[in-house]
Amino acid sequence: MTRAWIARRLFAAALLAFFICPAASAQALRLPPHEKLVLKNGLTVLLLEKPGVPLIDIFAIVKAGAAGDPAGQEGLAAATAGLLRKGTKNRTAQQFAADLDYIGGTFEADAGADFTGISAEFLTKDLARGMDLFFDALAHPTFPQDEADKFLAQALDGVRAEKDDPRSVLVPYYYGYLYGIHPYGRPAGGDEVSLKQIGREAIAKFYEANYAPGNTILAVAGGLSSAEMRAKLEEVMGTWPARAAKSVAIPVAAPAKGRRLLLVDKPDSTQTYFAIGNTGIAVTDPDRVAIRVVNTVFGGRFTSELNEALRVESGYTYGVESFFDERKTAGPFAIFSFTKNETTTQAIDLALQVLAKLHKDGVTQAQLDSAKSYIKGQFPPEIETSKQLAQMIATHEFYGLGDDEVNQLEARVDGVTPEIARQVIQKHFPAENLVFVLIGNASAIAPAVKKYAADQDARPITEPGFWPPPAGAKK
Amino acid sequence: MKKIGFGRAGVVVLCAVLLITVPAKAQRDYPVSARTLKNGMKVLVQPDHSIPNVALYIFYRIGSRNERPGTTGLSHFFEHMMFNGAKKYGPGELDKAMEAHGGANNAYTTRDVTVYQDWFPRSALSLIYDIEADRIRDLSFDPQKIKSEREVVASERRLSVDNENNGTLDEQLWATSFIAHPYHWPVVGWMSDIQHWTMEDLKHHFEMGYSPNNATMVVVGDVSADEIFQLCEKYIEPVPTHAPPPPVTTIEPEQLGERRILVHKPSELPLLMLAYHIPQMNSPDFYALNILRTILFQGESSRMYQRLVDKDQIALEVSSVVEPAFDPTIIEIIAQPKQGVDPQACEKAMYEELERAAGAAISDTELEKAKNIRLVEFYRQMRTINGRANTIGTYEVFFGDYNKLFDAAKNYSAVTKEDVQRAAKAYFGPNNRTVATLVPDNPQKAKQ
Repeated sequence: MTRAWIARRLFAAALLAFFICPAASAQALRLPPHEKLVLKNGLTVLLLEKPGVPLIDIFAIVKAGAAGDPAGQEGLAAATAGLLRKGTKNRTAQQFAADLDYIGGTFEADAGADFTGISAEFLTKDLARGMDLFFDALAHPTFPQDEADKFLAQALDGVRAEKDDPRSVLVPYYYGYLYGIHPYGRPAGGDEVSLKQIGREAIAKFYEANYAPGNTILAVAGGLSSAEMRAKLEEVMGTWPARAAKSVAIPVAAPAKGRRLLLVDKPDSTQTYFAIGNTGIAVTDPDRVAIRVVNTVFGGRFTSELNEALRVESGYTYGVESFFDERKTAGPFAIFSFTKNETTTQAIDLALQVLAKLHKDGVTQAQLDSAKSYIKGQFPPEIETSKQLAQMIATHEFYGLGDDEVNQLEARVDGVTPEIARQVIQKHFPAENLVFVLIGNASAIAPAVKKYAADQDARPITEPGFWPPPAGAKK
Repeated sequence: MKKIGFGRAGVVVLCAVLLITVPAKAQRDYPVSARTLKNGMKVLVQPDHSIPNVALYIFYRIGSRNERPGTTGLSHFFEHMMFNGAKKYGPGELDKAMEAHGGANNAYTTRDVTVYQDWFPRSALSLIYDIEADRIRDLSFDPQKIKSEREVVASERRLSVDNENNGTLDEQLWATSFIAHPYHWPVVGWMSDIQHWTMEDLKHHFEMGYSPNNATMVVVGDVSADEIFQLCEKYIEPVPTHAPPPPVTTIEPEQLGERRILVHKPSELPLLMLAYHIPQMNSPDFYALNILRTILFQGESSRMYQRLVDKDQIALEVSSVVEPAFDPTIIEIIAQPKQGVDPQACEKAMYEELERAAGAAISDTELEKAKNIRLVEFYRQMRTINGRANTIGTYEVFFGDYNKLFDAAKNYSAVTKEDVQRAAKAYFGPNNRTVATLVPDNPQKAKQ
């Protein structure tokens, strides 16, 4: 049991942001030097020297994520990623696992909305073996039929298992209801219907279309010299044949107009899980640092306005937070929390009051000062390890961001004034136009939540899929 | 990519249990300075200037094992109250002061310990000591705060136990495995106890557990040992000492036969958990058991994964958990059966694998693999100031000496194939087993 529930998210690194910045102040915090090269086959390679523990970290980005899944085949990018290690030109799935585990290494691959991320970690002394394993999975997967069948059946049960924990499916219901048929509404892991529409052929085709050196960014960080890492990379990755791949264009979603509410019925639930929000911003939005500062005040830390109201003062919930999930084009913004059935409307009303107050009163200089200290003070541990650094430089490269995301962070944070905060609140934090998703006991809460939106939808959690209901969703 | 959403509770931190092996030079790489203050608090410092930040942990040797029926969950509730006001920093002021100076905090409670964590830039160092001294010495209890925090903890229980299959079944598993020892009840407490604690209970808990000589402080990061010892002399040493909690004398009687329980709950999938009694953390079998767990459960080449997930295809995942414990405890084995699979099929497969481990020695390759995995895990924990503070403190508290961290290499390399087999035989017999099964109970489907 732990005290605070607000979690630092993995993608926090990607949220770092910039702003038209004042002159750089003297500051110690900088990204370690790193270099970029493009191999002859088109692969972009980033190398960063990070002394410390003898571990090497690799993070590769293939520029195709869940937003590139064909409609009706949600989960395709994730299945492709998950199967990379399940049979290659040189190893069966079992051999791959044995070789990887023998050196204590890790290999993980999964699809986010914008890209597929593939990571590996092993001891520095195992550089050659680790790199060989990584490259085998990245460049030579064979997608054996039996492994594909196994994986898809497991993914299907994985969705079912997630539905047994309402908090873990609030995200796909909310994103689906907010974005509808826009690619950002698709569940990255697929659903009970879409996963049955995916087979080995679709996976192999997705791989052929997207996994190519010219469509990939590969970052390596660890306790070796760039020259050593570079030599090994060129030797191994240089043999990946160049191939054409087209990038995925993601349209900008229009913000939701008016108010609508989806109630997902889970009759045995003793509390209501809720998400409220609208579309937010792109990773590259010029206002991103100011938004980060304002959101820290609003719902991004323990003493945030939301947590003070819903937890500290009222005891309605163990935790509440707000966040901008920044993406290639406008990603979601949400307020997330949960409360017992009996206090559902009290908690939601209070969250809406805190949001209204943000619009009415803005943030004070004292709140800004505190949030700035908090962001600056909590940032260094986010770039502490080679794993974090490899992921960060690869993500920056993918989104077209530079080292100033880190090197100028303090100056940019310091540049946010109450007036700038007022502007970003008006521009980026939703006020009247709101999308609500609630998971809970409908018979206990449905009448009371009618007041939030004239436009209401409902689904039982036991029906396959999230939102919109997939064709043939009835069990 | 991690899916965004609610963060997991800090219990996870504990599940990444201390399976560590250490190369000989580690002690040189991670030197620790130690001092015991006049009031009995031990302070461990490990300077590391790679980032301008500090991780500070305070471990109190008090947890739910020090509770009594009627006030279960009190240690955890008390942990929450440690943030709700003292003499100098009143309700809400601790968090506000800390965050305004760039710091953040959290805390966790287990069956054995209550641990407070501060993460902050070094510029906040004296503020943090001022705050910590204030609440250790002069904690106050505001009736209004007790009322609202009681609701917060009830919400935490609904989140992590009542509406979460793993939490629900885990609670039942412990309650069935232990019938006498206080590991029987849940750390968060039974809901009815959560609703009935009194101010007097809180005051008593503070007097019982929060003496400096019942605590260990660990500081890792951009500091020098001397400056930390000076801060401790100024802020912490004047805090008076008193008697630590009375010893827990109850010994769980030997389990004489398998115990089985069912939990019926609306659910998409069933869930299966097994528990076997094993010794406390500082027992000599700790190392052999960890090697065995690694071979059985860690990675996709592990025996259980290969058998249940890959070959038989009856489970989505199989894992094991051992939490650090002062007293004889349990190893939990968790299998998530696939839909439509009878959990007993998973049981049968797991029993066969456990019998195989008891019946024949593991291979040399498996033993080497397990040792390699432990080595990399060690570096993963030691790569951040936070991971190091938690690891050093856990070794100090549960083994009685942080230096045990640096002996682990020797202790792991001494483990033989025979030791592993002996451990499998000693602990994984059917009479020592508790089986908890969550049975999906879906009224709509039953009607069809």
